[in-house]
Amino acid sequence: MTVDPADKVLELRGATKLYGGVPAIEEVNFTLRRGEVHALLGENGAGKSTLTKAMAGVIRLSAGEILVAGKQVSPSSPRDALNLGIAMVFQETSLVPTMNVAQNLFLGAERFYNRLRGVHIAAQQFLQSLNFDIDPAEVVANLGAAKKQMVEIARAVILDARVIIFDEPTATLTPEEKIYFFNLVESLKKRGVSIIFISHALEEALQISDRITILRDGRHVVTDDTSAFDRDSIIKAMIGRDLSNSFYENRKTGARPPGRRVLSVQNLRVGVAVRNNSLSVFAGQVTGVFGLVGAGRTETFKVVAGVIKRDLFHGGEILLNGKAVRYSVPAPAVSDGVAYVTEDRKAEGFFETMSIARNIQIGALAKLRSVNPFVRGGDEQRIGSQWRERLNIRAVSSDAKVVELSGGNQQKVVIAKSLAQDPDVIIFDEPTRGVDVGAIAEIHRLVNELADAGKAVVVVSSYLPEVMALSDRILVARSGKVVEEFSALEATEEGIMYAAVH
Amino acid sequence: MNILARTRDRLLGRGDHAITVPVFDGALKPNQHLQTAEVVIDDLVDPNDLATDDIGLLLASGSTVVRIAANGAQSEVLRATGRVTALATIEGGLAVAIDGREVRVFGGRHDGFRVCDVAGKPLHCVNALAVRGDVLLLCDGSRNRAPDEWRHDLMELGRSGRVCEIDLSKGLAREIATGLGYAFGVFANDDEVWISESWRHRVRMSGEVGRKVLSELPGYPSRMAPAMGGGAWLTVFACRTQLVEFVLREPAYRKRMIATIEPDLWISPQIASDLHLQEPLQHARVKTLGMIKPWAPPRSYGLVIRLGVDGSPQYSLHSRVDGNHHGVVACAQLGDWLYVLSKGARRLLRLPIPQIEQELGR
Repeated sequence: MTVDPADKVLELRGATKLYGGVPAIEEVNFTLRRGEVHALLGENGAGKSTLTKAMAGVIRLSAGEILVAGKQVSPSSPRDALNLGIAMVFQETSLVPTMNVAQNLFLGAERFYNRLRGVHIAAQQFLQSLNFDIDPAEVVANLGAAKKQMVEIARAVILDARVIIFDEPTATLTPEEKIYFFNLVESLKKRGVSIIFISHALEEALQISDRITILRDGRHVVTDDTSAFDRDSIIKAMIGRDLSNSFYENRKTGARPPGRRVLSVQNLRVGVAVRNNSLSVFAGQVTGVFGLVGAGRTETFKVVAGVIKRDLFHGGEILLNGKAVRYSVPAPAVSDGVAYVTEDRKAEGFFETMSIARNIQIGALAKLRSVNPFVRGGDEQRIGSQWRERLNIRAVSSDAKVVELSGGNQQKVVIAKSLAQDPDVIIFDEPTRGVDVGAIAEIHRLVNELADAGKAVVVVSSYLPEVMALSDRILVARSGKVVEEFSALEATEEGIMYAAVH
Repeated sequence: MNILARTRDRLLGRGDHAITVPVFDGALKPNQHLQTAEVVIDDLVDPNDLATDDIGLLLASGSTVVRIAANGAQSEVLRATGRVTALATIEGGLAVAIDGREVRVFGGRHDGFRVCDVAGKPLHCVNALAVRGDVLLLCDGSRNRAPDEWRHDLMELGRSGRVCEIDLSKGLAREIATGLGYAFGVFANDDEVWISESWRHRVRMSGEVGRKVLSELPGYPSRMAPAMGGGAWLTVFACRTQLVEFVLREPAYRKRMIATIEPDLWISPQIASDLHLQEPLQHARVKTLGMIKPWAPPRSYGLVIRLGVDGSPQYSLHSRVDGNHHGVVACAQLGDWLYVLSKGARRLLRLPIPQIEQELGR
C-alpha cells in the first residue's frame, strides 16, 4: 500500500546507533503516519528505546536520517525535538521530584512572572480535562509511580506535540487508570496526534494500536497493520521462536507447602499508606501480594527491609524468625537475611554509571562488610562474572556500565545485587515491570528456583497473571492492609480483583 | 531490660507493650469446617475433657466420665467426688483430676493411686493430663486460681503454672516446667514433652527454658491430643484481640474491672459470646466513609490446629466469629474421625479427617 507523503509525519531511514562499536540499532527503517497509534515492540535490548530516543533528540544517530514532515532534521536535544513537535514520555520518570505537579507541567514554559495560584488553577483544569485525579500542588516526590507517570503524560499533552512517544506508559497504571489512558490516546488520535507506543503488554498493543513494528536485536523485523497480528505471531517475531503456552496462561496445578513462618508482620502502621496491616511469609513458598496502586504493599515491605520507618507510636511489630526487629536503615536487614528488590530500579536499584560487576559486588559487600574490611578487585570480577552467567545478563562484559543495559538486563543486575547477599527472605517488588517476555521467563524461573531452595520469596505485583502464575499463596491488599488470602489452587482472577477493589 | 528501654517501649507501644496480634493466615487461614461439623451431642452438662481408650471415646462431664457410642449414646463409666477437670487413660484405667486439686487413678495396674501435691506444693488447677508409659504428666494451670477462674488468672497476668511428671511405678513426682503463663495442655511426642502455655500464646518444650515448638499464636492454646500419622491436634479456646491486649497492658483499668464487673462481662476472651445483653461492645459502632456501621471485637472463637511432627501447623479448622462452636478445649482422634469438644456451645462435634484434608488440598 502506498502512503501519501503528506501523511508521513515522521520517518527514519537506515537508522544506526553504535555504542563502543556495537550496534544498538542497525539499518532500521520506520514510518509514522498522521493520527495513527504505532506500537513498537521487541524484547529488552531490541533497540526500541534507542530508536525512540533518537527521534526525541536524546541521542544522535551514528548513521541514517530522520525526516519530519518530509524534511530531513537532526534533533540534538529534547528541546530541538519538541520544537519539531516530538515529545517523549519516558519509562522512568524525568520529573523534578522537589517541584510540585503544576510546576513540573509548565517547566520550561514559564513566563517572566508566574503567579503560583494561576499555575495551579491552570494545571488543575488541564488535569481534570484528562480525567487525571492528581493534586497539582502535591510535590512530585510524594506521588506514587502511577501518578508520576500520569504527570509525565500530561506534560507531553500540554506541550501540544504532534508526535508523542510513550515508553511503557501503562506499566504503573491501575486497570481504571489504563482505561483513562486509552481514552486519552483515542482523543489525541482524533486531534491528529501521532503516537508511538512501546509496551511489553502485548494485549494492550493489539487493543489500541493501528500498526505494529517489531524489532529484534537492533534490527527491523516486520511492520504491518495490527489486524495482521495475534499474540503468538508477535512473540514469534520478537524472539525468533515459538513461545506457545505462555507462562501466564499456565495455571498452577500444585502449591508448595508452607515451611516455617519466617516473617510475621503484625498490625503495622505507616502514615495513611499502611493501616493495621498483618501478614505472614513462610519458607519454601512464593507469597504473592496483589493490590492496586496505593494498597500499601510496597510501603509494608519497605518497612520490613528498613528502607522506610513505621509509625513512631504503636506502629506495630515485625518478627523475623520469631524475633522482633526494627530496622532504621537497610544494612541490618541485609545482615539478617532480608533482601528487597525495588520497584523503581533507576532511582533505588543500582549505580548507573558503575559497572555490572561493581554493582553486584556492592550488593554482596552490604552483607559481608564486617567479615573482611578489604575489598579486592579480583572478587569483583569473580562475583560479576558468576552472576552475569547465572542470570544471563546480556552485556559485552561485566565491566559494561549499567546505564548502557536494557531495562530487563538492568533488572537482572538489581536482582543479582540482592541475591549476592544470600538472603533468606527475598522481596521482589514489581519484578518484571518494564521487562521483555524473554527476561520475564528467566526472572520467573529464578523466583521458582529460590522458593524450591527453601527461601521465603515475596512477589509484590500489580499484574494479576504474574501473581497467579508465580504464587503458592496470594495475599490481596486494599487500602493499606491485607484483606484476603487465596491458595494458588482456589484463586481466580475475578475473586482476587473483587477483593482488591471492594 | 533497663528502665529507659521499658519506659520507651511503654510510651511508643513497642516490645512487651506492643498491642499487636498475629494474623490468621497460611495454615491458620479461616474456614468453616468446625462450624459445619456434625453435632454428636448437644446440651452437654459442664463438659471438660475428652480421652480415648481401646474401646472408644470418653468424655468428662461434670463429676462423671461417660463413654460415647458412635451414635452419641452415653453410658456412665465413673462418678467422681467432685468435678472432673481433666481426663486421661492409663493401662486399662482412668487418670482423673478432681476439682483441679487432686489426681486419682481408677482401675488398671495403678488403681487407687492418688496425688494432691508435687514438690511440696498442693495441686490447685489441674486442667490437663497425658500419659507416657508409666509416667503421668499433669498441667497445674495456676497456683492461685481454680480451673473456672482462668479469666482472673489472665487478667492478673498469672505466671504460676507448672507441669509435673509422676512416675506411677516408682511413686516419684517432680516439676518439669514452672513459671508458666497458664499451662493448659501437655503432650508426649516421643521423647519430648510439649506444653501449651496459654497466656504466652505458644507451645513449648519442658524444662526451665523450654525450646519453643510453636509461638506467636493468634489465640490461647489449650489441650493437645495425638494425631494419627504423627504430630498432634492443638485446640485453641479463644482468639486474641488488640482490645484485650490493650487491657492487659492497663493495670489500673484491669484492677477496677475485676473489682466492679462480673467476669462474664469483662473485656477478656470468653468461651462463648452473644449470650448477654450487657456484653461489652456488642452494640458498638464505627463511622467509615460517613456511614455508621455496627462493629464489635470478637470475644470468642473456635479453632483446632493440626500440628506436624515438628510442631509446625499443617492446617486448621475454624468456627469464626459469626459461628457458635467456640471455646474448643479438647479433641481426640478415633480412626478417621476427629471428635471436638466445644465447651462454649456445650456440644460434642465430629469431623471426617480424610474428607477435610482433601477439601483443604492436603
